[in-house]
Amino acid sequence: MNGKVSRRDFLKAGGAGLAGVALSTLGIGTILGSETTAGDAQAAPGQELMYVCPVCGEKAEDFDGLRKHFKEKHPELESPKNMVLRINGADVGVYVEDHWTLRETLLRAVGLTGNAKEMCDRGGCGSCTVLIDGKPALACTTLAVECRGREIETSEGIAADPAYRPLVEAYVKYDASQCGYCTPGQFTVAKYILNKYPDPTEDQIRTELSGNICRCGTYSRHVQAIQEAAAAMKGGKS
Amino acid sequence: MREFTHMEATTIEEASKNARKGNAMVIAGGTDLLGTLKDEILPVYPSVIIDLKTIKDLDKIEEEKDQIIIGALAKLADVADSQVARTNCQALAEACGKVASPTIRNMATLGGNICQMHRCWYFRTPDDRFHCGRKGGNTCPAYNGDNRYHSIFGQQNGCVAASSHDTAPALIALGAVIVTSSRAVLAEEFFAANGFRSCVLEDGEIVTHIRVPKSKKSVFEKFALRKSIDFPIVNCAAAYGADGTVRVAMGGVFPAPLRIKAAEAAVAGGITESTAKKAGDDAVADCTPLSGTAYKVEIARTMVKRTLLRLEGER
Repeated sequence: MNGKVSRRDFLKAGGAGLAGVALSTLGIGTILGSETTAGDAQAAPGQELMYVCPVCGEKAEDFDGLRKHFKEKHPELESPKNMVLRINGADVGVYVEDHWTLRETLLRAVGLTGNAKEMCDRGGCGSCTVLIDGKPALACTTLAVECRGREIETSEGIAADPAYRPLVEAYVKYDASQCGYCTPGQFTVAKYILNKYPDPTEDQIRTELSGNICRCGTYSRHVQAIQEAAAAMKGGKS
Repeated sequence: MREFTHMEATTIEEASKNARKGNAMVIAGGTDLLGTLKDEILPVYPSVIIDLKTIKDLDKIEEEKDQIIIGALAKLADVADSQVARTNCQALAEACGKVASPTIRNMATLGGNICQMHRCWYFRTPDDRFHCGRKGGNTCPAYNGDNRYHSIFGQQNGCVAASSHDTAPALIALGAVIVTSSRAVLAEEFFAANGFRSCVLEDGEIVTHIRVPKSKKSVFEKFALRKSIDFPIVNCAAAYGADGTVRVAMGGVFPAPLRIKAAEAAVAGGITESTAKKAGDDAVADCTPLSGTAYKVEIARTMVKRTLLRLEGER
């Protein structure tokens, strides 16, 4: 060890640590949110505790009973899950809870922070856009468990790809990221545009980027940057 | 989001059976549902989420004799780009291409769009802060509050929110039939203020596909404040039926999208500049705007006229 820890390594370790803590403290107690229900009910004495299986309606005596029933009768429903996500061309083993969005998973379990910052978190701004199977999708409005077996690509992966070096350079040249908050989302859609249109017009770029909101108003710079990148990449290929 | 268990359905029957039991909700694209859960706008919170995307063959767009059959899981972007849809039910393809943003259209499904919960800022305030009539409360805060985006045709079941589905007017104008796991409903009878749902679906009922009769010509127009990522103030669709009559439907003016028969009658003899104007006037003749929605009457009037003129112009 040279004693140096890179930012990414640190984040990765942080993510793993967080996942580990969550795993040990929550265990499988997160099944159906019943732990929360139990806590609420205890806070209100006199209220009868109900442990009813939401899938088959069977009653259990206590939370442990419900947990046992669930493990036996509905093994496919158990939460949390350890699963493999294919992110930026690599298979990443992650710990995922059923209610985690892809954005949360990228941030907590994988440590990729570019597209995974918490922005509007409601699918309204487009800053968390990632490519799922080559198409732009909002990471904040996609459940991580639904991404199994799908190809996920984030801005980090695109920036590291030598083929898209001209795009990064064009973004730097035109300062298309002012504060940089929305840039990962715009940058991800930029790759999609370059794949879809080899020679994109301003109209096409503006239409495809219309789901990404930028408070700094860098819209025209994205057009310039993407068009220049398209020209550079075409030149390089031929 | 609070915790829930995620479950993958393999058949409609299985999903429907499980959705009926206890506290479960179904997810397709998730663009509406996940926001709803994050804000906890409903008094209930599901303990199980049933994924419909794992059901096979529900996302097809097929041509069959005199109708187009679109699976409920067809993505809005796919419907908008589909050559079959563009030729035979242009209004629907146009409407699908105008929902929200390109990214959301890659995720959201047609079935989800018609089943989405309505957009009223009191209803959608986080943490169920306004426990309105749709959620089991006694009052509608929109009557005395800021209601600038609400109904101009009065209330339905005590609700004055405006319908916000972009695809709904197109489906109504085209005379589409919505097929669920247990029945088939005409599009114009499908939408209604029904508890916190905006459609007539019952517990455990799931939309499987939509049958759209072919139309030789149909158009869709949307008026919204922003070009992208916005719900309509007023949207309007017009289509020629198989018998040559014009059908008109409008959204954003009532808790459910409305078929405007007064406008259809006005252009029964053919669409000209003057009959289209009369159709617009007749469409809003018996409206009862709220304190903040008088401006929407003028927009609705113009939208009907504009849509009809475009239908005639591009015939």
